[in-house]
Amino acid sequence: MSKIDEVKAKVEIGKSKLVPGLVQEAIDEGNSPEEILQAMVESMGVVGEKFSRGDIFVPEMLIAAKAMSKGVEVLKPLLAGDGSSKLGTCIIGTVEGDLHDIGKNLVSLMIESAGFDMVDLGVDVPAEKFVEAIKENSNVKIVACSGLLTSTMPAMREAVATIKASGLKGFKVIVGGAPVTPEFAAEIGADAFAPDAGPAAVKAKELAIA
Amino acid sequence: MLTKRQNLVEVMKGGNPDRFVKQYEAFAMMMKTPITRIKPPIGGEIVNEWGVTVRWPKGQLGAFPVHDPEHIVIKDITKWRDVVKMPSVECSEESWAIAIKEAEAVDRNDQYVTVFVAPGIFEMTHYLMSMEEALMAYYEEPEAMHELIDYIVEFELKLAKEFIDHLHPDALFHHDDWGSQINSFISPEMFKEFFEPAYKKIYGYYKDNGVELIIHHSDSYAANLVPSMLEMGIDIWQGVMTTNKVPELIKQYGGKITFMGDIDSGVIDFPGWTREIIGENVERACKECGKLYFIPGASQGLNVSSFPGVYEATDEEIDRMTSFMF
Repeated sequence: MSKIDEVKAKVEIGKSKLVPGLVQEAIDEGNSPEEILQAMVESMGVVGEKFSRGDIFVPEMLIAAKAMSKGVEVLKPLLAGDGSSKLGTCIIGTVEGDLHDIGKNLVSLMIESAGFDMVDLGVDVPAEKFVEAIKENSNVKIVACSGLLTSTMPAMREAVATIKASGLKGFKVIVGGAPVTPEFAAEIGADAFAPDAGPAAVKAKELAIA
Repeated sequence: MLTKRQNLVEVMKGGNPDRFVKQYEAFAMMMKTPITRIKPPIGGEIVNEWGVTVRWPKGQLGAFPVHDPEHIVIKDITKWRDVVKMPSVECSEESWAIAIKEAEAVDRNDQYVTVFVAPGIFEMTHYLMSMEEALMAYYEEPEAMHELIDYIVEFELKLAKEFIDHLHPDALFHHDDWGSQINSFISPEMFKEFFEPAYKKIYGYYKDNGVELIIHHSDSYAANLVPSMLEMGIDIWQGVMTTNKVPELIKQYGGKITFMGDIDSGVIDFPGWTREIIGENVERACKECGKLYFIPGASQGLNVSSFPGVYEATDEEIDRMTSFMF
């Protein structure tokens, strides 16, 4: 097994104590930091698929993301460019009136693992705050609105409407959360819907590259 | 006509109930005890018995623990003993007077005297250290998590003794959310390792001391945890959401455990609720789940609703289904 394959395998099973050493070994073997990073991104893609299928659960996803972040720490000083990600910035938040964050946090982990810089606005985010964040951050490609409660669906509608009415351009809006459906996403004018963290990262990447 | 308690027994044993059980009607909930867990008022904040800061912002359906660096209790799970202190459950006899009087007033032929415990073992771990840190710690520091769980179990056994000594309850309604709407938070294997022994001990203690019924609340998906629920001695799983495919669960496990719910609160209990929406969902649940091993009810815990009138309207619609189906 090559060192890169070992890195991939260990990220996937969340071996955060082993990954940094393996990443260094992969570098020493002559692999570029970008190749190693891409390998870890692919691992997280597999993790996302397994999570969506119900083959793994939240702890397994969290430790895999932690393993990847430990690997990225080794790569960061070596990665070429100005330090910003190839895919752009993603702004994420749970909509106003909703304090649930675990789903939003998982989505944030997965989208970051896919190659985005994340700006996490937290929970109970008023619609205007999403707009402010788009203005304040550069290279925004994705705005992700999360909500768990049926009673805060109006707030999600308002968030999307406010973002779309702002006149700001260059990004797409994804929505998700337990009560959100593709039909609701389309009805409120979102550009995309994701049922959970794995597909959210896949969709974010698709939209950013398109 | 059977009493409420008798009717519930018929439902649970697969006998001859004469009507649908209406949500919590068979349970006389003892909520005014000196050891009932404290919650903040709506719009307020408290530091609870364990030192966890809990807030209930206005407009929210429930309270949330606060986990910023200033407030989180466990920053390093390996040093949990330095910061986690079990609250005392010793209270004056005077402070038990109201609850004792309420328990004595219950006709135990009609209802179960039911004590309430929250938040539960799993939830307490993430109250103390945040959800993400707790979930990672099951992998990264399993010994410490086992120790913490054992400590919380020790507390729950002390709590149980006080309830039993003062109120002689017939039933326990115990809260602990084990999943999201679509899956359990942890795998069945991890759950079996960390929580099955804990709850077997707690629920076993209650049953060894006169409690006939264990009702466990988890308004979530948890179909994959039913084998563990059986092992723990749970008699009723309250909060079973529609994502669990309740009719199939009843077919598979009816007779071993009773399911209470199949009416998701998010669908019926919201500001614009209508009688029609409640009626449709109650009808669907009753027709699909049937008369045995099933209690129709909202998935939310306790005999309340988040928006006024929903609980009562749900009861009335269950009565309507009784008139059609019995």
